[in-house]
Amino acid sequence: MREIKTEKYGTFIIPDALIINTKYGPIKLISQTAIVVPIELVQANNYNPNSVDSKNMELLKRSIIDNGFCYGVVTIWDKDLQKFIIVDGYHRYDEFKNDFQATEVPVYVLDQTPAQRMAATVQFNRARGVHQVDLMGDLVKALFEQGEDDAAIAKHLGMELEEVFRLKQITGIAELFKNQIYSRSWEMQEVDV
Amino acid sequence: MQFMLKQVYINKNVIEAARERMAYIFDEFENICISISGGKDSTVLAHLALREAHKRNRKVGIFFLDEEVVYDSTISQIKYLMNMYPENTVKLWFQIEFNLTNSTSIKDGQLKCWERGKHELWMRPKEPDSIQYKPWDRTKETIRDKNKGFGFYDALDNFQDSRQNTAFLVGLRATESPNRWRAVSKNPGYKDVYWCTKRENGSVNFYPLYDWNFHDIWKYIYDAGLKYSKIYDYQYKKGMGLQEIRVSSLIHEKSFKALVELPEFEPKTYDKLQKRIGGIAVGHIYGKENKMLRARTLPKNFKSWREYRDFLLITYPDESKKDIFIKRYARYLNNNYVARQECRQLILNDYENNLPVDNKPDPREETIRKWRELL
Repeated sequence: MREIKTEKYGTFIIPDALIINTKYGPIKLISQTAIVVPIELVQANNYNPNSVDSKNMELLKRSIIDNGFCYGVVTIWDKDLQKFIIVDGYHRYDEFKNDFQATEVPVYVLDQTPAQRMAATVQFNRARGVHQVDLMGDLVKALFEQGEDDAAIAKHLGMELEEVFRLKQITGIAELFKNQIYSRSWEMQEVDV
Repeated sequence: MQFMLKQVYINKNVIEAARERMAYIFDEFENICISISGGKDSTVLAHLALREAHKRNRKVGIFFLDEEVVYDSTISQIKYLMNMYPENTVKLWFQIEFNLTNSTSIKDGQLKCWERGKHELWMRPKEPDSIQYKPWDRTKETIRDKNKGFGFYDALDNFQDSRQNTAFLVGLRATESPNRWRAVSKNPGYKDVYWCTKRENGSVNFYPLYDWNFHDIWKYIYDAGLKYSKIYDYQYKKGMGLQEIRVSSLIHEKSFKALVELPEFEPKTYDKLQKRIGGIAVGHIYGKENKMLRARTLPKNFKSWREYRDFLLITYPDESKKDIFIKRYARYLNNNYVARQECRQLILNDYENNLPVDNKPDPREETIRKWRELL
């Protein structure tokens, strides 16, 4: 158990993390230690190179509405600033605060050096997968077959209708040209000037 | 009287004309060899030629120069084409050592594909029936560029020069490569035929698809029910224009952008490529970004492209290549327009000069000078 004493907001109590043993040694289950704090106590770091485009911010909002706020914001406590400084989760914090106008937010409080924090931010940002295009196509097709229309799929997956259309086109591109007619042939010929 | 060479439409469509051209080549040449890349044009070319060979009960060579670091879909396509008419096909699948430029890495600036002793790192095992040793006289081997050593075009040249009286079929199209088309069609390369170029030893390169448009290619693929590389479907689904899609090597200076999407198309190919050679992740993350590899935007810590160029030269890690750049740039004008292009060459490790620098006065400075005179 850790205690964080603040000047204006009283004391926060961080529960000890459960530990489970794995092949790589004991791992702390930080996920079980979230506490809910006033959102004005949370502040962005000044080094995060990650950016999320506006379309994906829209998708993030959709996700919070559809699924709830599933992942707390990862922070450290900065005694001098008297703030929880964000290590990971800036965009969900930003969306929750400014768009949702939430007054509180769940945070995890890590105990790390500045260098560890910076590394952690990049690890969180980069260690994620991409969607394989053809499997994404299958997924869209499956949603379509479950009765969702293009507009609903576009809204829930944060896609433009164009992208949904392309993913649905499982026939391949040769099919698009079946009604073309062949061009007229030409030759290089010597002509009088 | 003066003559001029002109493009004249005739009363046939491209498919009738291409079939007639094929028949002509088969009438005139005993030895025929089709170059394929796995792309859409060479798929159509191989099919047209194989149909003709089948009709005449003859054999044609199908030549593929395997760069090792290619899409898996390309290899599937090559196998498909090589096995379409096995009784009419002589497989010429070349898996020999040659040098490729790796634009994504300065440390691993060159890749020797199929390098001996690196079997475990190869993208895939060699084909059991491929040609694995250079089948030409090594003492007469030609090399275009000493700096690069034996490369892709050298393998191509030496292969072609090792064959006599052969018609080499190539999928060049005028609308796709207008400059190359103008260059090859200036003079008849064989008898009165303009759609070809003459080679050594009685051989000729023929371009039977020269007048095809890209929609003709796709229409033919659809009509004949041919398979084609899955990369086209993937890239189309990602919103790429149909005419920009390429299936070529994954690492040279004109194709490294393919690395951005490679993990979404072929995760296993991407994984193997990362283990094969350095710089792949750099190409994946920064391939379409304006600062790191494309030299579109000046990094904020530099005041000018000239300053950035000088910094890149000083810090260039490969001493043996550094001199090539220094000598080359000494001949050029020293302005920001030229310097930006020099930065791009340095960043992409282009010691071969494949992305030539347009050496001229800075257009922006010229404009500023003109306005100053007016004001």
